[in-house]
Amino acid sequence: MNFSKKPLITFRDVSKWYGEYRALSSISADVHKGEVVVVCGPSGSGKSTLIRTVNRLEEIQSGAIHFDGKDVHASSVDINKFRSQVGFVFQSFNLFPHLSVAQNIMLGPVNVRKQRRAEARTRALELLDRVGLASKVDAFPGQLSGGQQQRVAIARALAMDPPVMLFDEPTSALDPEMVGEVLQVMKSLARDGMTMMCVTHEMNFAREVANRVWFMDQGSLVEVGVPDEFFSKPTSERARKFLSDLRTH
Amino acid sequence: MDSILLILRDYGTLLLVGQYPNGPLGGLAVTLLLSLLGLTLAFPIGVVMALARLSPFRWLRWPAIALVYVARGVPLLMFIFWVYFFVPLLIGRTVTGFTTMVVTLVIYQAAYLSEIVRSGIEGMPKGQAEAARALGLSYIQTMRRVILPQALYNMIPALVSQFVSTIKETSLGYVISVNEVTFAAMQINSSLMTQPFQVYFILAAIYFCLCFSLTQLARFLEGRITSRREGSRQSVVAVVSPSTTTTATAA
Amino acid sequence: MDHRLDFSVLLRGDYPKWILDGVITMFELTLAAWLLAMALGTMLAVARMSNVRIAKIAVAIYVEYHQNVPMLVQVFLWYFGIPALLPLPWQQWINAHNSAFVLAFIAAGLCMAAYVSEGLRGGIRSIPKSQLEAARAIGLSYLQAARLVVVPQALRIALPTLVSYTVLLFKNTSLAMAIGVAELTYATREIESQSFRTVEIYLLSTVIYLGFSMVIMKAGTFLEGRYRIRAR
Repeated sequence: MNFSKKPLITFRDVSKWYGEYRALSSISADVHKGEVVVVCGPSGSGKSTLIRTVNRLEEIQSGAIHFDGKDVHASSVDINKFRSQVGFVFQSFNLFPHLSVAQNIMLGPVNVRKQRRAEARTRALELLDRVGLASKVDAFPGQLSGGQQQRVAIARALAMDPPVMLFDEPTSALDPEMVGEVLQVMKSLARDGMTMMCVTHEMNFAREVANRVWFMDQGSLVEVGVPDEFFSKPTSERARKFLSDLRTH
Repeated sequence: MDSILLILRDYGTLLLVGQYPNGPLGGLAVTLLLSLLGLTLAFPIGVVMALARLSPFRWLRWPAIALVYVARGVPLLMFIFWVYFFVPLLIGRTVTGFTTMVVTLVIYQAAYLSEIVRSGIEGMPKGQAEAARALGLSYIQTMRRVILPQALYNMIPALVSQFVSTIKETSLGYVISVNEVTFAAMQINSSLMTQPFQVYFILAAIYFCLCFSLTQLARFLEGRITSRREGSRQSVVAVVSPSTTTTATAA
Repeated sequence: MDHRLDFSVLLRGDYPKWILDGVITMFELTLAAWLLAMALGTMLAVARMSNVRIAKIAVAIYVEYHQNVPMLVQVFLWYFGIPALLPLPWQQWINAHNSAFVLAFIAAGLCMAAYVSEGLRGGIRSIPKSQLEAARAIGLSYLQAARLVVVPQALRIALPTLVSYTVLLFKNTSLAMAIGVAELTYATREIESQSFRTVEIYLLSTVIYLGFSMVIMKAGTFLEGRYRIRAR
């Protein structure tokens, strides 16, 4: 696939430290519009940290991250407006338990975009339909299964019409039988052309929909490749070890 | 500031120990004595009430529940008046304010302590009692040897907090002329007349130093106990810790 | 002493009026102090949650003072102590304007505000950071996230504690009698000393206190049920 357009997200020499510990080491990479990037690697490799720097849930100490041409970590940025343009799906869903499913989805549009409640609710129903949960519109998160909650979380992120969706290990906290329903939604988003950056262990998902795989280890971006090549013939030693460890399970 | 120091110099001993040794004990010494007596005598009663509350027999449960509700719903002042009126009737002769206050505190604190003990016991992992019964221990033995020792250890911070509450409650003894530190301060104020702020400031400072140190002790113990009993016991301390049990029984 | 209970004594002369006035004053004290405690307590909790160091220290000192000094002593300090520090014309104005009631509810309200702020603080602390993160990730500002996501959940968690503090406040209004406020306990003592029917008047007051305490507790249980976060 040819991505000749300007990249949507760029990382330039991004580094982050927790005190003495270097969590990210000079990461440089691009995510193009319409591209699906899967970030994988052993635990502690910094993949979650990396994705969280994009919407500034984590700060960086050096380097720069640009979104649509603008420096994300500049002090002049309106952080709330910026975050409303980046959809983020958490590993532990983080739905708001005191609000119904519809209210969860409507919270952003009504309070940040100042949309009218009726419009927001219609849109919420459309999105719930898209993730297959239209019947649960007035249910509460506590009444839903993990897979259902995560799908609602995806709908909540989509409600702001973001140009890019970030997924931080979206299926890691789910029971095995529910992983499929969430991956299904993510695959359909990818097929519809959404720009996505996913941290995940689901290698089949990567093989099916990813345009590129970023392999991280100990805070560095070790290898970037097309899925077919990465999974069959990884060029780096560490990637080879990681993939063989995965296969032995 | 000078006036405060002067008052401390002239009336310091009165506030601390009353007229002792030239007269009856008073002041802070009496406050501490009342609190210690009140809490230590209330404690066994509180444990018995907690067990009664948890027992399967209605005739044991209901009186315990009733007493707890009454203690929580009726002001301590009313309690003091009731005891002041009833005890002489019961034993046929007049009693000192001190005795009245001790009896009041014992009843009042027993009710609150029973709630603390009850949550401590209920917070113990069920497996403990099950293992003890499986070995063949009777209910009483299980309580005595397995449940209560552990529950009571976990409750120590909450007990220290209750001690702080008791100390604050002794201040109400002035209404029946119990010669504790608040009463002593009131006497000093009426003889000085012109420095009420200084006198009551000193009084507040005395209570603050005493109660704050004890509260800090309770927090320290809570930290120690939580870290010593990690994992499955965390829930017990959390249920019973001073931060969840209010130290404001009668403020 | 006459061992037969005779409640009709309480209906004689001015006694019913004293009792009624006592009950009304008790309610007025409770309401005034409660409003003060809730408003101030919330502000203190929010101040403590902010990142301003001075604010955190000031609130901590406020809370420690009010929780470690008996409320009775706080009342005395306000009623006897503070006015003595004010210039004479102020003192005269205060004395002419029913100062005991005002100072009593101020003392009680300030004291309970400390407890309320601790209760709210506990509630807020028990909300996982991830809730705030998720709210910010959608683009809500800090204040919006606090108002729409954190505080509603924190209030639900703190509700039982706040209800029990309300009952405590209600009981503590009896302390106002120490500075001559004619609330229920004061009226009880007056009637006892005049009529010598100790048991009857004590019983009546006890029942009134107990009754209203239970009403408050029941209201609390009702609110907890109504606002419970629904789960399977």
